[in-house]
Amino acid sequence: MADRASDRLLRMLGMIAYLDRHEGVPVGEIAEHFGVSAAQVMQDVELLWVTGTPGYLPYDLIDFDASAYDQGVVRLTEGRGMTRPLRLGAREAVSLVAALRALDGALGPALDDERAAVLRSALAKLTAATGDAATAVDVALAASGTPGVTSAIAMALREGRRLHIRYVNASDVATERDVDPIRLVTDDERSYLLGWCRAVDGERLFRVDRVLDAVVLDEAAEQHDVAPGADTFAPSSSAELVTLHLASRARWVAEVTPVEAVRNHEDGSFEVDVRVVNRDWLQHLLLQVAGSVVSISPPSVSADAAAAARSALDAYERLALR
Amino acid sequence: MATTPAAAERLLNLVIALVNTPGRMTKEQVRTTVAGYGDAPSDDAFERMFERDKDTLRELGVPVLTVTDASHGDDFGYRIDLDTYALAPIDLTAAELGVLTMAAELWQDRSLRADSTRALTKLRAVGQAPGSTDLVAGLTPRVRDGGGAFAPLVDAVQSRQAVRFTYRAATSGEVRERVVEPWKLLARRGGWVLVGRDRDRGASRSFRLSRIEGAVRTVGPVEAFETPAADELAEALSSWDSGTRGVATLAVLPERASALRTRHVPDDAPHPTVEGRDVLRVPYRAQWELAEEVVGYGDAVLVLEPASLRDAALSLLRTAAALDDKEPARG
Repeated sequence: MADRASDRLLRMLGMIAYLDRHEGVPVGEIAEHFGVSAAQVMQDVELLWVTGTPGYLPYDLIDFDASAYDQGVVRLTEGRGMTRPLRLGAREAVSLVAALRALDGALGPALDDERAAVLRSALAKLTAATGDAATAVDVALAASGTPGVTSAIAMALREGRRLHIRYVNASDVATERDVDPIRLVTDDERSYLLGWCRAVDGERLFRVDRVLDAVVLDEAAEQHDVAPGADTFAPSSSAELVTLHLASRARWVAEVTPVEAVRNHEDGSFEVDVRVVNRDWLQHLLLQVAGSVVSISPPSVSADAAAAARSALDAYERLALR
Repeated sequence: MATTPAAAERLLNLVIALVNTPGRMTKEQVRTTVAGYGDAPSDDAFERMFERDKDTLRELGVPVLTVTDASHGDDFGYRIDLDTYALAPIDLTAAELGVLTMAAELWQDRSLRADSTRALTKLRAVGQAPGSTDLVAGLTPRVRDGGGAFAPLVDAVQSRQAVRFTYRAATSGEVRERVVEPWKLLARRGGWVLVGRDRDRGASRSFRLSRIEGAVRTVGPVEAFETPAADELAEALSSWDSGTRGVATLAVLPERASALRTRHVPDDAPHPTVEGRDVLRVPYRAQWELAEEVVGYGDAVLVLEPASLRDAALSLLRTAAALDDKEPARG
């Protein structure tokens, strides 16, 4: 469990090693480097100043150049043997190396040569310094979307330009719109573009695998403030509530769908309450998991899905493919 | 937990003392000479304080060694070995530190996030200048939470120690204890998966972390099993790795299924013609995956080839056609 004392200890040990490598660094620069306030850096330095080896006489203590410190510059003059950087723990190495590998796999194609080279050199250095510890974890991020679309989005983000996209929604209806790109969010399932849609004048989350075409426009994108959490799909609480009772093997539905509640039954089956903004989306899902459905409420949902399935079977029949 | 400045100061003094001690320090020496420990009001309080600090340091990756002095029998002490303590030589440019900063933000999982943040604090010591993340502005990768099972499983993979947990099987819903030799953790298609050898089955199995119920406990000693051979591991991982397995021929209504259309591959082979529909070839990784996707489009997308994929789609549709026979849920 990370608590403030251990975080602070690591930071102070890191500072000694850093200051041993850099002769005299302004407080503000140390603060920026370690991501803390200047006041915190001064508290850390002043604490370091009174620590050392037992006895704690002047020559036992970590020491800094006092006149430089008065000028706001930290210069280490005695490190008491603590100047070597602390190694990474096994799980720490795993967490960073696995993340870098996943970034390389997913974002590699969206980065230009220079940026891709930085990613790979960081990965190579870290792997060399930590050994093969990181093979315990393997993350594949989903790089969904066609290469043309992905690189257009990456370029628009990099250069702060507006995009013109053709997008098909869950109802299989394609529309064209101009979007100011804000973020490209890639998770282990798919990629989303968070953007400001100029047609509706609001933020929208677009699934990248449904962006049919993307063109980078000459105009600069406008800056927009978005709510925290805007890059996570969360249906509105006023949307229709549908309850699905599914057999155990469809448990992935509860894992990949934002559900309001899950109730487990003794027999391994489970019920989920789902807010449905778009019935077409739900129908798509139901046709996939039909074999695991125990019951659905309201019943009109299952009637619609069954009708869609029968109409598809009729279409196969007409082609003599059944 | 109390997070007084005194705790950080005491920990720092302990680290410096144990690094600089010529041989080792006994517990009593720590108590009487290291700043911060003399304040302990009783033997018990000192004992608890010292044990907790030792655990904290080890958790942070500081190697606190227990050393026995041959001439004093069971009288033991502690020290920190600097060669074990130190990171292998490494220098990071500002841009590299920036990439690492972004990598550390990948995780939504709390324990992974804590681990990567610590790693980053340590690496800042060897960074040339503050890292800049504008390198990859606007790209936000993220990996969802692995839950409470994640951290103990990573540790067990690394120490090659068997684990025991309660698992709710996906196919049957059966809830049962499993004893597994953990090989690897994968993040794939929206979830975390443990791949390892199920001791009861005597074969490799995959377990979704989201279906592990309750705590993961280690069983038996560390280094209890061999790392699997490369081909054995590859075999166990094969179902989780992507890659094209085949190409399907689909008949699509005009103007429909545009998302599917973007993935079609042009080819020179003669296409069958279907009146009123476009015929497209679309590559797939797994048949079940494409069958489910196609079925979702209802009558807008039909499978012509291969026959096995068409059968899979037809079977899903027949099941779905009977959905309105089911009773609505009550309550």
